[in-house]
Amino acid sequence: MTHTRVKLLGAGLVIAAATTILAVAGMREGWVYFLPVDQFMASGQHQMQRVRLHGTVGEERFEASRADLNAKFDLKGKTSSIRVEYTGVIPEMFQAGHDVVVEGQCDEAGVFHADTLLTKCASKYESADGQAPHANPYAAESAE
Amino acid sequence: MIELIGNLSLAAAVLVAAATVIASIGAAALGPVAGAPWLRGSRWLVASLAVFVTVAAAMLLTALMTHDFRFTYVAAYTERALPVGFTFAALWAGQEGSLLLWAWLLSMLCLMATMGWRRLVGTEVAVAHAVLAVVCGFFAVILLFAANPFQMFDGPPPLDGRGLNPQLQDLAMIIHPPLLFTGYAGFTMPFAMLVGVLIAGPRDNRWLSHIRRWILFSWMFLGAGIVMGAWWAYIELGWGGYWAWDPVENASLLPWLTSTALLHSIVVQQHRGMFRIWNASLVALTFLLCLFGTYITRSGVIDSVHAFAASLLGVFFLVFLLLMTALAVGLIVWRRRKLAPDRPLEALVSREGAFLAGNVLLTIMMLVTLVGTIFPLLGQLVGHEGVTVKAPFYNRVVAPMAILLVGLMAVGPVLAFGVQAARKIAVNLRIPAAAVVVVTGGTLLLLTGNVWALLCVAIVTLGTSSVLLDFVKSFSARRRSTGEGVLAATVNLIDTNHRRYGGQLAHLGVMMIVIGVAGSSLFSRETLHRVVPGQTFEVDGYRGTFLGLTDIRGSNYSAVQASVELTDSSGDTRVATPEVRFYDTWPEQPNTEVALRSTWLEDTYVTLAGWEGGGRNAAIQVRVNPLVLWIWIGGIVMVAGGLFCLLPRQLLWPRAVTATALRRSPAVDRPVEPVVSTSVANSEITA
Repeated sequence: MTHTRVKLLGAGLVIAAATTILAVAGMREGWVYFLPVDQFMASGQHQMQRVRLHGTVGEERFEASRADLNAKFDLKGKTSSIRVEYTGVIPEMFQAGHDVVVEGQCDEAGVFHADTLLTKCASKYESADGQAPHANPYAAESAE
Repeated sequence: MIELIGNLSLAAAVLVAAATVIASIGAAALGPVAGAPWLRGSRWLVASLAVFVTVAAAMLLTALMTHDFRFTYVAAYTERALPVGFTFAALWAGQEGSLLLWAWLLSMLCLMATMGWRRLVGTEVAVAHAVLAVVCGFFAVILLFAANPFQMFDGPPPLDGRGLNPQLQDLAMIIHPPLLFTGYAGFTMPFAMLVGVLIAGPRDNRWLSHIRRWILFSWMFLGAGIVMGAWWAYIELGWGGYWAWDPVENASLLPWLTSTALLHSIVVQQHRGMFRIWNASLVALTFLLCLFGTYITRSGVIDSVHAFAASLLGVFFLVFLLLMTALAVGLIVWRRRKLAPDRPLEALVSREGAFLAGNVLLTIMMLVTLVGTIFPLLGQLVGHEGVTVKAPFYNRVVAPMAILLVGLMAVGPVLAFGVQAARKIAVNLRIPAAAVVVVTGGTLLLLTGNVWALLCVAIVTLGTSSVLLDFVKSFSARRRSTGEGVLAATVNLIDTNHRRYGGQLAHLGVMMIVIGVAGSSLFSRETLHRVVPGQTFEVDGYRGTFLGLTDIRGSNYSAVQASVELTDSSGDTRVATPEVRFYDTWPEQPNTEVALRSTWLEDTYVTLAGWEGGGRNAAIQVRVNPLVLWIWIGGIVMVAGGLFCLLPRQLLWPRAVTATALRRSPAVDRPVEPVVSTSVANSEITA
């Protein structure tokens, strides 16, 4: 092997090692489970760690205050549901009956404290076929 | 009638594509002389292919512009009240239309490519025509069978359409998708030529000059599309950011990274005959990543905010992707001996060494982005269903790589090819190093102690100063030797070497983007204020007063508008008016309109986060994002740099040529394809 090749190999190894270290460190920090509510409730393993959950916002026990920046609701799956308390800006499309994604952690009492709330438009580019437009959620609250 | 013409033209396109393949294979089999009429025939067939796809696109456009709601596509994406510009842009608002746009752009670019290659003869170009026809044919097939834009309602058509999704009703919607698709489609040309060259058996490096412009062209459009998309996200989505490492964003970044690497490594092949296998792989990979990105985002295998509806389309794309991958890998492996380098890598500290390092960094960035994007799939394979990675994963790896890349931009231009480079570099970097000490020291004392920020400042200073110094040196050398004035010397110097100075300009653009990204991601401040009308709040450097809410009415929406008076530290007052819009046909999807003011130093980004009781109280979110404007300026500069590289060798040659002939040093700046330009230049001199 020529001198340059040895150097090249050395440089390659250093870069590979550095990338791996960075990627693993980044993965530890950026790793998060993204689960449907049912799967989260069924498996015990994720209960106390930070996760992303998706489900449907329940119609009953739905409280949201856009000006006070908090919302409390049941996040429902097909078979189970979990109580969510969220603090922060409420996305415009957030309302009961819609699909949302929340990120946060469960406390001992079984309440999920979320700091991220994303509304999930089933398909952003595809129109909702044959669906009647929903009532304006702001209609009653609109400024005069 | 419209649907008949549309579908018939698509069907005709499929048949013509098949005929093109036959004609091209005939041309390849009969050889350069006997096959010449066949080759000419395949060129005409590509031209008629472009005509048929154009007719199909024109039909959909006609249906859109005449509000022909018998078509499900027209009803799904437009309404009568939609402004004309958006009705036009609805052509690419949905799955079917955007694929039709892609197919149309592809067919037009194929036409341009075959015309550009019309002087070429032989197997290479014949096979290239066949590959172009196969890709065009693939798009025509999916438009006919998997995503037909001419679908009609079975029953009576609706009286009015559903309208364009509010988030798409933005100026960027008109520009961003065509830019991106032009980039994607353009990378088909290099791939086609690569397949042709590999089948014919690579003899020299000349074929690179037939595809360099295509790579550059597509790279420019893709880059412009990505930056435009980031800008769109920034002003439209209202979360204060411009890049979220979303799968669709990543999908466009992947081919951009590989094509950036390719633009650099083909220079080494052109000048030194090295990196042949690597270049062939990058040409193929860039094309395949364009397909891959489309596959993962349109098949529903990966969740994205851009989700298109899952459909059969995924299967089509997957099969085509696998076939093309097998073709590329097979050909490169088969021809590996003919792709051997002319010489080994002689020295690491040399221009080719810097190009190699840059390629390695860009490839790592691409791999990390790829792994992150398909992480949910990888997780599934090892039994961790539902696992995803978020931004920190990407940032951790990509940010240091980007900083190293800027470092290479600093040393690359001052390095020569070959073994002698190492000695000169220390001398050439003296002044930039001094600039780094001064600027970084100044930043540390006056602005911030943040290590990342200082690192970025240092590396960008090094890069900028070595680019500028390089220019100043050549500039003063030129003035000494020619005695030209300042303006003439600048213009002529740049004109003598568009590729070099275009590249430098693109580097400056990237450095501006790095500064913008660093500034906004490290020092962004965000505050949320719950206020009643008349109430005052403090944001660092600003005093805000909430004046109240009003209802306003636009052409196809009504909106609630907040008025917030912002006074900066110098006493300058303005009123920001963020809105929440309710589009008539999309009441369930209110849309934020950000009140944004940009300056060189920082953006103030105000959104109306919520309100209650008819405006008795409201929540106002204020973000102060430093240096964001530099990202957009950097994007424009980067694309301008690409444009410079695309220019013919010399625009103002009569004078410039004589001067260049005097001072051009051998080897380094010598073009590989000078045949045309110098012969033209010579005839001009003799004339």
